[in-house]
Amino acid sequence: MSSFLSQQASLPPLLANVHSYASGLFTETSTLSFVTNSVLVALVVMGIVLWFSRKATKNMTLVPHKAQNFLEFIVEFLYNQVVGIVGEKQARLAFPLLGTLFIYILISNWFGLLPGVGTIGWGKGTGFLSIDAAHDPLLRPPTADLNATVGIAVSSFLVWLFLTIKEIGVWGFIVHTFGPKGGLKGVMGMVVAVVFLFVGVIEVVSIVIRPVTLSIRLYGNIFAGENVIHAMSDMMNGTGAIGSFLGSIILPLPFYFMELLVGLLQAIVFTLLCSVYIQLSTTHDDHGHEEEHH
Amino acid sequence: MTLTTPTIIAAGALDAFVGQFGLAWSKFFAQVIIFWIVFMILKKYAFGPILGMLEQRRQRIADGEAKLEKIARDAAEAKQNSQAILDKAEADAARLVKEADDAAKAIQERRQQEAVSSANTIITKAREAAQLEQEQLMSQLKREFGRMVSDATSRVTGKVLNTDDQTRINQETSAQVSA
Repeated sequence: MSSFLSQQASLPPLLANVHSYASGLFTETSTLSFVTNSVLVALVVMGIVLWFSRKATKNMTLVPHKAQNFLEFIVEFLYNQVVGIVGEKQARLAFPLLGTLFIYILISNWFGLLPGVGTIGWGKGTGFLSIDAAHDPLLRPPTADLNATVGIAVSSFLVWLFLTIKEIGVWGFIVHTFGPKGGLKGVMGMVVAVVFLFVGVIEVVSIVIRPVTLSIRLYGNIFAGENVIHAMSDMMNGTGAIGSFLGSIILPLPFYFMELLVGLLQAIVFTLLCSVYIQLSTTHDDHGHEEEHH
Repeated sequence: MTLTTPTIIAAGALDAFVGQFGLAWSKFFAQVIIFWIVFMILKKYAFGPILGMLEQRRQRIADGEAKLEKIARDAAEAKQNSQAILDKAEADAARLVKEADDAAKAIQERRQQEAVSSANTIITKAREAAQLEQEQLMSQLKREFGRMVSDATSRVTGKVLNTDDQTRINQETSAQVSA
C-alpha cells in the first residue's frame, strides 16, 4: 500500500511540465527560502490591490470618478450578496474577510493567465534566452500553490470560528452542534439525543475538513487550468517553428476563456461557501426557542 | 504491529503529499501574512471608505427623497392656497363689476332724467320766446297793415281820414288779419 502511494506521488503530472509545487527563488538553505514564485506573485497582487484601493479612494466624491465608481460597483455588489446570505448584522463583521477572499482569489486566478506567468523562468536551455519549458517559472499564481490556498482556507476557518463564538458563544456552539432538535421528551427524546450526538460528531468532522476541501478545490482547479493551457501550448511542438508558434497561440486560446470563467467561479465558490458556513453557524435556532416557550 | 502499520502508511502518505505539493511552514506563513496584509489594505483603503461613501450617498438620497416629498406637499398646499385666493379675488372682482355696473346704470338714468328735464325747460323757454316774438310780429304786422290800409283808403277816396276812421279801419284790418 505504502509503496503504491509513494509510487503514485513520484509520478510526474500528466501531459504538462508544470510542477505541482511553487519553486523557490532562493536555495532551500537560505533564510529567504520561503520566497517562492507564488509568494512573489502574491506580493505583486498585494501591490495591485494597494495601488488600486488608494487610487479609487484617495479623493472620493459623491459623484464618483472612474476608479472609485468601479470599486464601488464591486464592493456594493459583493456586500449585497453577503448581506443576502449572512444577514445585515453578520455582514458588517464578515464582509471584510469575504470581500478580501473574493478579490484576492480572483486577481490571483486571473494573474496566472497573463502572458509570461508560468512560461518565463528557468529550464533546459535551447538557445540564447530560450528554454524548452519553464520548469521553474519566475511567476506562478498564488492559488496554484497549496501553501497559499491552505493559508487562505485556515484564515477563513479561524475567522469563521471567531464569528461563531462571538455570536452564539462556546456553549451555544456545542448545543448548536450536538444538541437534540425537535423538542421530543421521554424515551424518544433520549434516542434522538443519542442520534444528534452522533450527528454532532459527523458535523465536527465536516467542519474540520472544510479548510482541506476549500484549499484543495481551489488549488486543484487552478493547477489543472495551468496544466491544460501548458499542454495545449505544447501540443504542436515538433511540427516545425511556424507550426509550433501558431499552435502555442491558437490551441490554448479557447482554454484561456474557460480559465477566465473557472477563475471567477472558483473565487465565487470559495467566498460563497465561507459565507454559507458563517450563516449556518451564526443563525439562532429561533424556531426551537419558540417551541420551548410554548 | 497491527496498530502501527496504518499509522506508518498514513504518515508516509502525508509526507508524500507534503513533498509533492511543496507544503512548508515558512511558505505557508508567508502566504498567510500576505493574505492578512491584503485583508488589512482592503479593509482600510477599500471597504471602509467605500461602504462609508455608499452609506453617505444612501442617506443623501433618503434626505433628498424626504425633501422632495415635503416640496411636493408644500407645492400642493401652495396651489390650494393660491386657488382659494384666486377664487376669492374672482368673487370680489365679480362683485365690484356688478356694483360698478349698477352705479353706472344709476348715474346714466339720473343723467338721462336731467337731460330730459333740461331739454323740456329749453323747449318751453323756446316756445315762450317764439310765442312772444310771434305776438310782437303780429302786433307790428297789424299796425303796419292798418297804416297801409289807411294810406290806401285815403289815396283811393282822396279823403283825409280822421282818427276814428283810422281806428276803425285798423280794427277791421286787424280782425281780418287775425282771422
